[in-house]
Amino acid sequence: MAREKTYLEEVFPSPFMQLWGIFRKTPVAMAGFCCFIFLILLAIFAPILSPYSPVDSNLEMILLPPAWHPDGNVSYLLGTDELGRDMLSRLMYGTSLTFGLSFIVVFFSLVIGVVIGSLSALTKGIKSSFLNHFLDVVLSIPSLLLAIIIVAILGPGISNTVWAVAIVFIPQFIHITRYAVKEEFRKDYVLASRLDGASNFRILYYSVFPNIIERLMSQATLAQSAAILDIATLGFLGLGAQIPLPEWGAILANGLERFYIAPWTVYLPGLAILFAVVATNLVGEGIRHALKLRKEN
Amino acid sequence: MNSKSILFISMVALVSLLSGCNEDSKLSLSERSIIYCSEGSPETFNPQLSTSGTTSDATSKQLYNSLIVYKGQSNTLGPSLAKSKHITRDGRKITFYLRQDVSFHQTSYFTPTRLFNADDVLFTFNRILDKEHAFHHVSGGQYPFFQSVNFSELVEKVEKINDYTVRFILRRNESSFLANLATDYAVILSAEYGQQLTNSNSKHEIDILPIGTGPFKLKDYRVGSLIRFYRHDSYWQGKAKIEQLVYDISPRETSRLTKLLAKECDVSSYPNAHKKIAQRSDLQLESITSLNVGYFGFNTQKAPFDNKLVRQAISLAINKQALVDNIYRSQAARAKSILPTTSWAYDKNTPELGYDPVRAKSLLAEAGYPQGFTMDIWAMPVQRTYNPNAVKMAKLIQADLKKIGVKVKIVSYEWSTFLRRLSLGEHQSFLLGWNADHPDPDNFFTPMLSCSANEIGNNRTFWCHKEYDDLLKKALKTTDMSKRKGYYAKAMVIINDEMPLLPIAHSKRFQARGSDVEGDILSKFGGISFYQASKKAKLVNEASN
Amino acid sequence: MLTFTLRRFSLFIFTMLVLTLLSFSLSFLFPGDTVINHSGQIHATPTELVELNKVYKMDENIFSQYNAYLSHILQGDLGQSMASQSPISDEIIELLPATIELSLVALLIAMLIGIPLGFIAAIRHNKTSDNAILSFAMIGYSIPVFWLGLLAIHTFSINLGWLPSAGKISLLFEIDFVTGIQFIDILLSDSPYKWQAFSNASAHIILPACVIALAPATIFIRLSRAAMIEVLAAPYIRAARAKGLSFNQIIFRHAIRNALIKIIRHVGLQFANLVTIAMVTEVIFSWPGIGRWLIESIYQRDYTAIQSGLLVLSCFIFLVHILTDFIYAALNPLARGNNHGS
Repeated sequence: MAREKTYLEEVFPSPFMQLWGIFRKTPVAMAGFCCFIFLILLAIFAPILSPYSPVDSNLEMILLPPAWHPDGNVSYLLGTDELGRDMLSRLMYGTSLTFGLSFIVVFFSLVIGVVIGSLSALTKGIKSSFLNHFLDVVLSIPSLLLAIIIVAILGPGISNTVWAVAIVFIPQFIHITRYAVKEEFRKDYVLASRLDGASNFRILYYSVFPNIIERLMSQATLAQSAAILDIATLGFLGLGAQIPLPEWGAILANGLERFYIAPWTVYLPGLAILFAVVATNLVGEGIRHALKLRKEN
Repeated sequence: MNSKSILFISMVALVSLLSGCNEDSKLSLSERSIIYCSEGSPETFNPQLSTSGTTSDATSKQLYNSLIVYKGQSNTLGPSLAKSKHITRDGRKITFYLRQDVSFHQTSYFTPTRLFNADDVLFTFNRILDKEHAFHHVSGGQYPFFQSVNFSELVEKVEKINDYTVRFILRRNESSFLANLATDYAVILSAEYGQQLTNSNSKHEIDILPIGTGPFKLKDYRVGSLIRFYRHDSYWQGKAKIEQLVYDISPRETSRLTKLLAKECDVSSYPNAHKKIAQRSDLQLESITSLNVGYFGFNTQKAPFDNKLVRQAISLAINKQALVDNIYRSQAARAKSILPTTSWAYDKNTPELGYDPVRAKSLLAEAGYPQGFTMDIWAMPVQRTYNPNAVKMAKLIQADLKKIGVKVKIVSYEWSTFLRRLSLGEHQSFLLGWNADHPDPDNFFTPMLSCSANEIGNNRTFWCHKEYDDLLKKALKTTDMSKRKGYYAKAMVIINDEMPLLPIAHSKRFQARGSDVEGDILSKFGGISFYQASKKAKLVNEASN
Repeated sequence: MLTFTLRRFSLFIFTMLVLTLLSFSLSFLFPGDTVINHSGQIHATPTELVELNKVYKMDENIFSQYNAYLSHILQGDLGQSMASQSPISDEIIELLPATIELSLVALLIAMLIGIPLGFIAAIRHNKTSDNAILSFAMIGYSIPVFWLGLLAIHTFSINLGWLPSAGKISLLFEIDFVTGIQFIDILLSDSPYKWQAFSNASAHIILPACVIALAPATIFIRLSRAAMIEVLAAPYIRAARAKGLSFNQIIFRHAIRNALIKIIRHVGLQFANLVTIAMVTEVIFSWPGIGRWLIESIYQRDYTAIQSGLLVLSCFIFLVHILTDFIYAALNPLARGNNHGS
């Protein structure tokens, strides 16, 4: 019997692949993941896909109900708003504003938070204690309230909203990175590479980060669902995206004026927000679930 | 075990709270009161100081009376605090004989010791006329309506003949004088209250804590939230049917309608979803054709609108009919001039600048702007009969003007800031309107576009035209209706050529109420009065829905 | 307990310092004149301005400026509102209780719904009811609160006509201001319509409180589920089972108590979350509370009000934090040793 392989080579998947392996076996998480990808694609390609302009008004087609309504029009699938703008196009463009911006916001605060967090994990003493206290204070103020404060300082507007929400999410990333890095540094493999003569930076980059990346990702999904809600809420309160930007919260606030005449201008953006947040939360939930299972194995 | 029982008890408590709030226990109080959802806070409690509809709705007919009033639907003047009048043949001396049974409000801050008499009339009008009067400069010394009709120039003096007779002596005969006295602005204040405030050195309270002779008296006011009135029990025309009147101040249309639909208010001003109200058997919608005009004005002192051609070009580029259809939902007529077609002075032959973007473009090129320019439109932040949604109208105008290459920036401020900045002339163009105070046609021409209105900041176009002003003056000097009509027709031609503003629509004023509210509330000349209003017994409420 | 108190106290001082510094620096960050932002006196005459500059020590260095600002705050002088020109402390005293009242009722509802559901989910771990409860929690956690509020008004106030949609009581009732907590004020008043007012006020609070409660309730579900799962896996439960106690006895005598203690810790943090949700909800339900006032102040660019409102609100949130920490420490001696205030 000829053996083709001399040694039994066991393919040992990387931790990340292990995680993915567990993740893809959870159908609910996978459904959420598909929706999530769909939203990302929509956010990028909205200008190509959307049938009409999101801001130009069309006076002939004002307050058209969605197509399934007897008075609806098939070329305006989700109806039009009070200025005759196609709701579907507005919602599609809104994806890149509300959902797309939340993505950018989270990425931005993740990077800054990780840098500050890992630096602070390496400090000790008074500086560390001060930072700890300071973070406690900031973390005790709810994110939306903090975002409102920052918008109050910067003034309303979509770019200021992005800044505000990004700043608000930095402390939680600092906190979690710091905690995770400190925990990893206590482990033996770090000691091993330290004995090899690796610098702190090298240890961080090659040894610690690959091991905490999933935890950061799970935190990032949490932050993103909160970011979507915060951006939309600020838009709804008139502190975020301004007229005529098709941000979901702002569309909803705008539709409020005509709630009793055109309820779909309120229901649809609300559903869009709910959909995006649920999708994000499902992905996050899936990651956390997979992390837990991997740890148990 | 105990945590379960705590849970159970609190659940029971919650359920009993829920069921404890059935309606019939509230009956007694709500039957005797009316809640009115109003669209904004009054600026003051003295309508002499303001021309805003919100202020006069909240004050004039509720708290005060004037000497004479417009009666019902028939544009004629009738008696009020003055039971009769006499006018000399030259029209320059007008004598009023006052009622002797009128009492002022008794409130926590004032107790009257005497009835209404000639001193009160003198106090009221001298405050406006006499710059030396102790109260003239209290609250700023601006009486916009009276200034806009040149009241102090017209009236030489007001004399007291005896306790119940006063005489106005005019410098010239003016046909709209009596009409002006019958407006919501010419209300009578209490001289005795003025004296009390002078003694206690708190004169400014006269316009904050009002005392009048009207059917209701002020109980409580919270800015931006509510005004509470109690019935004036010794009102001279007999006491009102309701004991308490509450204005629930809700600037957002949707929240007013929500409160109406949820039965949290009985009457709502300016409802928007007419179809939704019509569907409900327990609500009714009413409207009244009022004399008003919504317009788009230009600041004629600021470039490029100091150029007549630019004003004409912009006016030609705006599709007025589309604005009327979309903003007023066809509850209004397209305006051909500033005067509504229902006014007797309206001339059918008045030309109208139509919709012609091609000509607009060529006019713009002629004026030196072939590439167009950037401008701002100031859209008022509140809804009014004459313009239910100025911001949306501005957006539509923005789209129209884009077609002739003019870029538009929409500006809006909180209402009082908006008006203040407008009168300072910071704007280039603006969306506003005018509600007539009485049916005399002069009430459109003089307060909106005359030079005198210009001086006090009421004419936000800052347009002052000699020939136009002369025509108005001539029209006031005569009582011959056909001559007056001729003068006004000429004035309209001038406006049409000069285009200081583009009249857009004349609309109806709408109001919605629960079916259990009875009695007239809307009156023809803009204002509202709750004196006649009452509530039906609650039985009806059970049957509906 | 003493070291615990001292530690919390120092944390409190530190936080107050940070918060007042923040609100002090806001006056510089906002557009306009710093001293006018401090005081809110936009109509001040030049002489009054000179006086204000002196009072706030604007010509001295930044430390004495801060000192002057701090002493104003300690005297209860938060300046006056730029929009209404009335003292901000008066406005806050009138509005804060309404927010507290609403938030407390909402917190109560959130706990009454969330904790039992969480326990049920944990006891029936990985069964259908567990999954149903978790899905409910996911939706509740994801739904934007302003949208939920609108849906609630549309369903319960307009279509069904059960509950009122705006305000904290019908405007017909005149209740004198005593504590600001509506229910207490009603009971204290001598109005002939006292009980009508009471039931009317209860009807008004239900809808906004439930809307606010949904998101925290879902968090309580997760917390209590996790706590209960952990407790049920603990050795003493196994010991109790070995002793022959019935399942109900184990749950009600041992598990619930121990799980509850773990949850109490999070109540403070949830309260902060809840107050933010309440801010948005107040706008939708026209609830006359501090959140709606704060947002209106932002619209009107009333910087003095924004600055002071934020200070008061964040101090209040932090106080609640510390308070729950104390309650937790009192109930659970183990927590007292825990340092770093995390």
